[in-house]
Amino acid sequence: MTDAMKKITILVFTLLTITVNAMAEELNLSVAASLKEVIKELSTNYTKKHPGTVLLNNFGSSGTLAGQIENGIPADLFIAANTEWMDYLNDKKLVVGTSKKTFAYNSLVFAGTSSKKVSSIKDLPKLEKIAIGNPKSVPAGEYAITAMKKSGVLTKLTGKLVMAKDVRECLMYAELGEVDGAFIYKTDALLAQKAKLLFVVPQELYPRVIYQIALTAKAAKNNEAKTFFAYLQGNEAKSILTKFGFSLK
Amino acid sequence: MQLTSEDIASIWLSLKVAVTATALSLPIGFATAWLIVFKKFRLKVLLEVLINLPLTLPPVVIGYFLLLLLGKQGWLGKLLAELHIHLLFTWKAAVIASVVVGFPLLVRSIRLGMESIDQQMLEASQTLGASWFDSLLTIIVPLSMKGILAGASLMFARSLGEFGATIIAAGNIPGKTQTIPLAIYDYASSPSSTPMALSLCLISVIISVFVLLLHELLSKKIDRSNGL
Amino acid sequence: MKLSLDIEKNIGTLSLEFKTDISGERIGIFGASGSGKTTLINLISGLLLPDKGAIILDGNTLFSKHQKINISPKKRRIAIIFQQAMLFPHLSVKTNLFYGYKRCRENNRIIKPDIMIDLLKLQPLLQRRVKHLSGGEKQRIALGRAVLANPHLLLMDEPLSALDDTLRFQIITYLKSVSTEFRIPYLFISHSITEMQLMTDQVLIINKGQLIEVTTSEKLAKNRMVNNPNGYVNFLRLANPVDQNGLFSYSWGNNNLLVSDGKLNAESLFELSSHDIVLFKKHPEAISARNLLECTVTEMFNSGTKIGIVLAVNGEKLVAEIVRAAANELDIAPNSQLFAAIKASSFRRLN
Repeated sequence: MTDAMKKITILVFTLLTITVNAMAEELNLSVAASLKEVIKELSTNYTKKHPGTVLLNNFGSSGTLAGQIENGIPADLFIAANTEWMDYLNDKKLVVGTSKKTFAYNSLVFAGTSSKKVSSIKDLPKLEKIAIGNPKSVPAGEYAITAMKKSGVLTKLTGKLVMAKDVRECLMYAELGEVDGAFIYKTDALLAQKAKLLFVVPQELYPRVIYQIALTAKAAKNNEAKTFFAYLQGNEAKSILTKFGFSLK
Repeated sequence: MQLTSEDIASIWLSLKVAVTATALSLPIGFATAWLIVFKKFRLKVLLEVLINLPLTLPPVVIGYFLLLLLGKQGWLGKLLAELHIHLLFTWKAAVIASVVVGFPLLVRSIRLGMESIDQQMLEASQTLGASWFDSLLTIIVPLSMKGILAGASLMFARSLGEFGATIIAAGNIPGKTQTIPLAIYDYASSPSSTPMALSLCLISVIISVFVLLLHELLSKKIDRSNGL
Repeated sequence: MKLSLDIEKNIGTLSLEFKTDISGERIGIFGASGSGKTTLINLISGLLLPDKGAIILDGNTLFSKHQKINISPKKRRIAIIFQQAMLFPHLSVKTNLFYGYKRCRENNRIIKPDIMIDLLKLQPLLQRRVKHLSGGEKQRIALGRAVLANPHLLLMDEPLSALDDTLRFQIITYLKSVSTEFRIPYLFISHSITEMQLMTDQVLIINKGQLIEVTTSEKLAKNRMVNNPNGYVNFLRLANPVDQNGLFSYSWGNNNLLVSDGKLNAESLFELSSHDIVLFKKHPEAISARNLLECTVTEMFNSGTKIGIVLAVNGEKLVAEIVRAAANELDIAPNSQLFAAIKASSFRRLN
């Protein structure tokens, strides 16, 4: 090996060890897409106070996230937008059951840019295209299907439902105007610029939207993770949740 | 093998989109290949680059461009809206996505077929009294048929597998735009749907094998009738 | 046929300039590869566009830059026979044959297909597939196809170069018979002097895209004698073969020749190289060569370092070649009486 090559090899190995050391302070969070702004702000605040910790956020639909954790993606904390996906991982002992806590509540609304008069769920058949999160993996989509079924409009909407990969994609479709409207959370509607809130989905039509948070089995003994977990249960977290429109009870 | 009615819908839709995309592209692809191989004109290089561009772009980029162009905000989209034509988020958008993505493959194949024709063969036909159109029908088409077939098969297969551009431009609408790849992606995003996903994957493979076999068979037939 | 050419074309590294009036029925274009022969053919047939000038065939303007006339190849009725027959592989032999005929207007169809098929003995080939044909068979079909298109002019671009010797002569016979029978003039391109001798009367010599010389095939053969490995090739038509102790005795005009490679019951054409004729000032005694002919010198010509001697042999003509020193030594001049000795094995039978 030439002199230059030796130097480069040493440099590379040094860098690797540094990063390996850095990895020891990394926390991986798998979080439901609708909590993106909340968790981003909380992460920034936390790292200011704990500069040795690096928080890596993975946002997606709760079902997809659960599948990823099942397949071994690094994750220390999991926040789901319903109890179903949390139970799914709990049954497989991939989360620490005793650490499971309720994180926040939300409600389902329908927003869009349609010029047609849409004031209740019964008006939906008037529309051409409606975006919902794919019920197979997106809790918001499941809630929407339940609501539509209960109110008897689901059968009238075959071929009109555009499947989105998470609730934020629904919002995007609504904003672009490519669909007449989308089922999103109240908190997402607050962030919308072009889409208007057309109606709130009556709570009796669907189960309560409950966000649950838990430590993954991998992080069971991780003190950093536990510290951050505690932080998310604290007052600062609560005030940020409220700021973005989430309910706490 | 379990197949829901939605799965069956996605199979029919995939076939419908692939057949339509191929049928639409064939005449345009043939004309384009003919222009490139037999005509000299300035800016020919530009045309070739334009045609090959989709090959080098990620399909999602193509899908995004289609979204920008044909969407309610896009200039073409606005124009078409006046004519009450809405393309995005319909099966037609899926066809357009397949056409854009598969076109370079089609043209390339036909080009190869045409380039393999000896120039003197065409000169012979012309001096024997054939007009350019006559030459086209009696000499160029039969002798480049293999390339045309290969291009069509490639285009068809590519369309069956098209995902990135389709999901962005046509969206994932079961029954309307959810082709087989989109349906499989659906299942893949949701854990515990593995058997459903596998069933569709199997169907996908069966269709592909069928297309490949058909291509081989027809190719040999063409060789025989072309005296090779 | 009258062809008036006044054309210029720059293509790649070739700069072609041709200004001449050609008239005749059997014209040759002679040149080495790369001399522009094929480009010339493409310009005459309309496949290539001249940069400037005019092409007029039998009074019809096929191209004129000045008058903005350009008749398409399909309308010029100039058929080409290529070096590689260029039969359409996906069409049957019959369809190939009639390709041009079908595209010819009814009142222009003068040549009767049946006569053509008979003349070229194409009947047994009609049912065959193109891919199973031999090179010679393909060229015959190509010839038939070109002629059945009822062309005003036939252009032949080295049609024999891809064939072997025996086949070459066979096709030459077909080419000439077709041309004579149907009265179609042709332009014959080749780099072979013997082909020129057999096929053409007038020859245009082309080099680097320029017309160097207009001459006759006879003069060409004489001038190039020294460069040609076979010297000047004499063509002899011999008849009435008789077996004579293993050799063949033929009559050549009023002469008698003994030949090794003969064929009974047929008239044959033979090649004899000028190299193979040994000249004697006096009647030699006891020579091994079986042929000794009395002859008179009618003409002498120079070809490089050699001297060509044209001999009259009882009404027939023969060209021999010797070195200058020998000519001086033997004091040969026009009207000299000489003896020519030729070995029986020197004659090469062509058919």
